[in-house]
Amino acid sequence: MVRPIQNIVIVGGGTAGWLAAGVIAARHQGRMKTGFTVTLVESPNIGIIGVGEGTWPTMRSTLEKIGVSETAFFRECDTAFKQGASFARWTTGAANDAYYHPLMLPQGFTQLNLVPHWLRSGRGRSFCDAVCPQGQLCDDGLAPKMITTPEYQAVANYAYHLDAGKFAPFLQRHCTEKLGVRHVQADVLTVNRAENGDIASLTTRQAGDIPGDLFVDCSGFSALLLGKTLGVPFKDCSDVLFCDTALAVQVPYETPDAPMASHTISTAQKAGWIWDIGLPTRRGIGYVYSSRHSSEEAAQEELARYVGPAIKGLSVRKIPIRSGHRETFWKNNCVAVGLAAGFLEPLEASAIVLVELSAKLIAEQMPANREVMDIVAARFNDVTSYRWGRIVDFLKLHYVLTKRTDSRFWIDNVDPVSVPDRLKNLLLLWKYRSPWFFDEFDRLEEVFPAASYQYVLYGMGFRSEVDPSDSDGTDAIAARLVEENAAVTRRMRSQLPKNRDLIRKIHDFGLQPI
Amino acid sequence: MTNIVVLNSQTHRHLRVQAGASAELGDNQRFVHVAISEFPALVVHYPIFFAKDSETGAFFAGAMLGFGENLFLSADGKGQDAYRPLNLQRQPFFVAGSDLAIDLDSPRVGRGEALFQESGEPTPYLQTIVAAFRELRPGFEMTKVFIDTLLKLKLIEPITVDLGFDDGSRLKLIDLYTIDRNTLQALPDATVLDLFRRGYLHLIYLMIASLKQIPVLAQKKNRRLHESAG
Repeated sequence: MVRPIQNIVIVGGGTAGWLAAGVIAARHQGRMKTGFTVTLVESPNIGIIGVGEGTWPTMRSTLEKIGVSETAFFRECDTAFKQGASFARWTTGAANDAYYHPLMLPQGFTQLNLVPHWLRSGRGRSFCDAVCPQGQLCDDGLAPKMITTPEYQAVANYAYHLDAGKFAPFLQRHCTEKLGVRHVQADVLTVNRAENGDIASLTTRQAGDIPGDLFVDCSGFSALLLGKTLGVPFKDCSDVLFCDTALAVQVPYETPDAPMASHTISTAQKAGWIWDIGLPTRRGIGYVYSSRHSSEEAAQEELARYVGPAIKGLSVRKIPIRSGHRETFWKNNCVAVGLAAGFLEPLEASAIVLVELSAKLIAEQMPANREVMDIVAARFNDVTSYRWGRIVDFLKLHYVLTKRTDSRFWIDNVDPVSVPDRLKNLLLLWKYRSPWFFDEFDRLEEVFPAASYQYVLYGMGFRSEVDPSDSDGTDAIAARLVEENAAVTRRMRSQLPKNRDLIRKIHDFGLQPI
Repeated sequence: MTNIVVLNSQTHRHLRVQAGASAELGDNQRFVHVAISEFPALVVHYPIFFAKDSETGAFFAGAMLGFGENLFLSADGKGQDAYRPLNLQRQPFFVAGSDLAIDLDSPRVGRGEALFQESGEPTPYLQTIVAAFRELRPGFEMTKVFIDTLLKLKLIEPITVDLGFDDGSRLKLIDLYTIDRNTLQALPDATVLDLFRRGYLHLIYLMIASLKQIPVLAQKKNRRLHESAG
């Protein structure tokens, strides 16, 4: 008798828990009539971490798929637009040292690699400005769309900045009211195992026993199911990524209509970097640093210097960052999503995107029964390990390209011992050619495509030595693409409204569904 | 550029207004905001679409009078050769709260039709303006309800119109919306009945039928091109 997988139990009600619940329940709506259930068990006594405020453009399709209105999302989660990130003082540390990692792909990315052409002839223009409009849109403080642009559609590709403390309850309402997710508020006392090592049920203090066929561990850092119960070890990455502490603070605007950046601003410091995320009602600012390279007092001082006098009287929250992830993510009938799976410094907003990708994979690959679950689990682990590895590489890329030598932190970061082998090889390869599709960016749903590597590499002054005589007859097409980009840039700059103005309009009038 | 004041039979006793359709006086509009009550009159001449207000993103219903110009203005630029939408007829008047107002800076003000008789009573012309607003004001509200109903039922879809003219020019009309016929066909019986009872089904089919006016409009444009070339 093969047991079908019918009852999904999610433990933990933060961003990860509710996103996983929403994605799984939405995908399996049709089966709800025949006994498929999604239950989310959440402790009424444990709060959520709730500092994840940056997302990837994937969030647009995720929210659309689970049936959320983008207008409601803006109104209820203090949401703002994010058109990528700028990285200030990462290369030389000088005041004018900054580059963008935008969310738009370079013009004509699917047909031609513009890097060689830019290296040969793009003198004087940053790579980002030569191939995409978004850096200039961010400079101008513009929104990525207009009030006439339908929900979830873009003029310029975008993601969101959001208030994580409001996002989880927002998703909770949607999941319980629209998607039939059962919400059980209870503390888990024991996790009960079956003979084969599977999790059979949870015993809770307030709601008795909760049996399930598949358990999704969204319990945060504690990894109650996958870590504590199933004993899956944690793989530490602090030998590659040194930052292990964050000091976070919420800073009000000086005036309600002060300009609001439509991108994340990341500014390098002595022993780490500061994030600066603009929401409509406040900025979320945090210093992510290495406690091996800085005392907490020194970090507090650097944060205060960045924020300015406004920091007086604000409470600064200290958050430990243990860079790393579980050795496997799906064991027996338990899969971890979110902080339970792992965490890395929030340099490229990778936390929530991994939640989305994992939830999507679970929902789409939902094993029909226990018999095939191990096959699905093996694939899931393969893909997810690959993703974590790629993210670690990509985050490290931001550090290894620095020319800063003003502190041990930056000097230690370029030590080859701390650089993963794969990244070392790629950097060697990229000395003589630019990142492109063959450099192992061949997976479906690659977290960071070759374009992202291009923006960071050439934004940080890295130069591939392309052979000037090696023109493959694409110069004319490339020149046309660069011109097209200039035209698109002009059009968008004249057309798009200011970031804050559009958000105000969304609150006043809403976006249309079509 | 505008000077809108509340109309008053004392102050404005001798004011005159040019009432007729004229290109110079503001009738040269290719797309005019309309109310659902006008659909039956519009459909025999114009394609009717939905479009979005650029300031608010809100949908409104509009009649297409041409491509860049009003093709229904007679050759001398005076007079409209077809039903003139109320939103053109009402020029240069507005409504301010419950009062009728007028834009004194409008080029229409000065000569033409009297607004008040010597007794202070409104002239028949002014009465038509009052009547136009009596239809338009609730008309726009009812149109909004109609559009909201269609949006909820996912009955609105974007439409792109591609046209080629005899002078070799091509025109692509974007940002226009029409009825989604596939969704319409798939509506549940109860919904169809409800739409019928509310008079919406009639309006829906008028809009669908009005699309046949696009090629007619294009022919009109071609004739203009030949006339101006000849």
